[in-house]
Amino acid sequence: MMKKKLVVLLLSACMLLSLAACGTSGTSESAEPAASDDAAAPAGEITIGTISPNTGSLAAYGAAVTTAVELAVEEINAAGGINGSQVKVVNADDQFDPTECLNAFNSLVSQGIGLIVGSVTSGCTSAITDAANEEEVCLLTPSATADSITTEDDYVFRACYADSFQGAIAAAYAKQSGYTEVGVVYCASDTYSKGLYDSFNAACEKYGVTVKAVESSASLDVQDYTNQFASMVKAGVEFVYAPYYYDVIGPYIVTQARAAGYKGIIMGADGYDGTPDYVVAGADLSVFNDVYWTNHYDPADTSEKVQSFVKAYEAKFGSTPNAISALAYDAVYMYKQAIEAAGSADPKAVRDALADTSAVYTGVTGTFSLDSTGTPAKGASIISFTSDGTSVTTKLVDVVKELPAA
Amino acid sequence: MSTFIQTLIVGLRLGSIYALVALGYTMVYGIIRLINFAHGDFIMVGGYTMIFTIPITFALGLPAWTSVLLAIIVCAAVGVSTELVAYRPIRKRGTSMTALITAIAVSLLLENLAQAIPAIGPNPIVASQIFGTGGFTVAGVTMEWTTVYTIVISAVVMVVLYQFTQKTKLGRAMRCVSEDKEASILMGINVNNTIVLTFAIGSGLSAIAALMYLAQYPKVYTTMGALLGLKAFVAAVLGGIGFIPGAMLGGLIIGLVESFTTSYVSSSMADTFVFLILIVVLILKPAGILGKNVGEKV
Repeated sequence: MMKKKLVVLLLSACMLLSLAACGTSGTSESAEPAASDDAAAPAGEITIGTISPNTGSLAAYGAAVTTAVELAVEEINAAGGINGSQVKVVNADDQFDPTECLNAFNSLVSQGIGLIVGSVTSGCTSAITDAANEEEVCLLTPSATADSITTEDDYVFRACYADSFQGAIAAAYAKQSGYTEVGVVYCASDTYSKGLYDSFNAACEKYGVTVKAVESSASLDVQDYTNQFASMVKAGVEFVYAPYYYDVIGPYIVTQARAAGYKGIIMGADGYDGTPDYVVAGADLSVFNDVYWTNHYDPADTSEKVQSFVKAYEAKFGSTPNAISALAYDAVYMYKQAIEAAGSADPKAVRDALADTSAVYTGVTGTFSLDSTGTPAKGASIISFTSDGTSVTTKLVDVVKELPAA
Repeated sequence: MSTFIQTLIVGLRLGSIYALVALGYTMVYGIIRLINFAHGDFIMVGGYTMIFTIPITFALGLPAWTSVLLAIIVCAAVGVSTELVAYRPIRKRGTSMTALITAIAVSLLLENLAQAIPAIGPNPIVASQIFGTGGFTVAGVTMEWTTVYTIVISAVVMVVLYQFTQKTKLGRAMRCVSEDKEASILMGINVNNTIVLTFAIGSGLSAIAALMYLAQYPKVYTTMGALLGLKAFVAAVLGGIGFIPGAMLGGLIIGLVESFTTSYVSSSMADTFVFLILIVVLILKPAGILGKNVGEKV
């Protein structure tokens, strides 16, 4: 009996809250009727949901998404909203766990949210793409790069390039730098790591680079990579592709690889972003020299778009935004553009607008259009770590606009 | 040849950490026939204690490893209070199955409690360098000082512990209680105090294991004890749970199997082999390699 009463109370509280929400959005719309392009624009607020690993081993990426989305939405609301409607954000946490990701997705959908930015990792995002299509909810992932994430005729889009491009950039870089024999160390059970290995491998074949040694780890919880890199030394390779995340690269891989006697280049992908904050204080950090990785943007880029974003972010949060932040920020503006083009925030209409391959988006991470699967065609930055022994910093090596010919 | 030595070293250092953790499982199992699943999470407690103590030791001008002293005290306190609050009341009333479920509950409680406390986290924290960097080279293989310390310290701890149980009065009391509780009471041994002492020593050892672990793999996270504890448990069962030399042997075997599988079979199948060994040993020799067959087991 007591429980029933509680439920009734809760439900009525929810109703009151939703009514209150309608009230505020109504006033904001009537206050700025001129901002609306379309007279038939939807009344009320537009709610965008985010799914990101706000806690857990990749929590830095969760914070990157929520802060950047907050910044973008604040800017949009200050400029009058989208089609005159103010934008509201609901954050959900996936803990870098595919099961939790599906829970987060269902919780957002049950709140009636049809436009979602997320999730960050390929492993989590691949757990919710089917659900997004079934529920007819738009899913715009800032940074899930696995090729399988987006397909034609679906509700899933992304703001980043795909692994087939990212892995190929690394292969092309190996060839350019004169390495004809390379090695790979990857995680066999992770969608992201495995996907990058596959694309790197395929691109090596295309560029005539031999993949001489391949080693793997059973899970992302493995702590010792010494034997894997000892095999690389034994195979005599001087370029190893190791697609992992920063929480493995910083404390484990680079130090252990050098201790195993491996002196060559270690190359990775966007998962290396954030490594300088995850290194062991007091250790000999000069081991991080000769570590290269591909990324979506470079915060030192002098273009006006990048600099205004970096400045606004630094002013608000006091730290330099990483690539995940830049992509999440772009994702919000992609939604804005799509909603404006569709004239409505209805998920189906927004989907159709995003599926329009002729639309051009100008974002922090470049100017791009989406291809028929919903993946942007854009360039990558190659970044290296440099270290004086006591700290690790990043340095832009090269910007690659498109893949070199074989 | 250098691959072999390298693999051996990696196996030994993994094995010494497993062995230290397995000692905790084995001591508690030996004395109250309880698999203390929370033991892996005591390592997490030790790890976080050290993370927060290292800045203090630096401020005092002490080397980073001295933080282990506080970690030992904290871990022992957590272990003893687990026994007093959770296990002892259950032992009085419930069956051994109830106690086992309680152990799993304590493990999950510790993991989730740590996640809920904002200062600890849910987010992983990278530790500072604990021992000096550098090392020496033998036959083309670099031996880091950290690795040397890990192997030496755990060997010393194991020998001391073995001598303690064999030669001292308290150690003999522990063995007596493990053999026959009722008879021990008749011999004038305070059983409850002996059990508390066992928990204190076993949990204190987990702080030393945390020190070795962090020196080698400098990252703490709230679920770090889960897989580590599981493997150490396998090690304890493999060697013969309840027997201290068995835990040492089991730990080293598991570490070496893991390392050699990675190097010579398939790097992604290390864990598969570790758990496969558990199944095979349980079929062939249910009491473990050094264990005596006493009928009731896991």
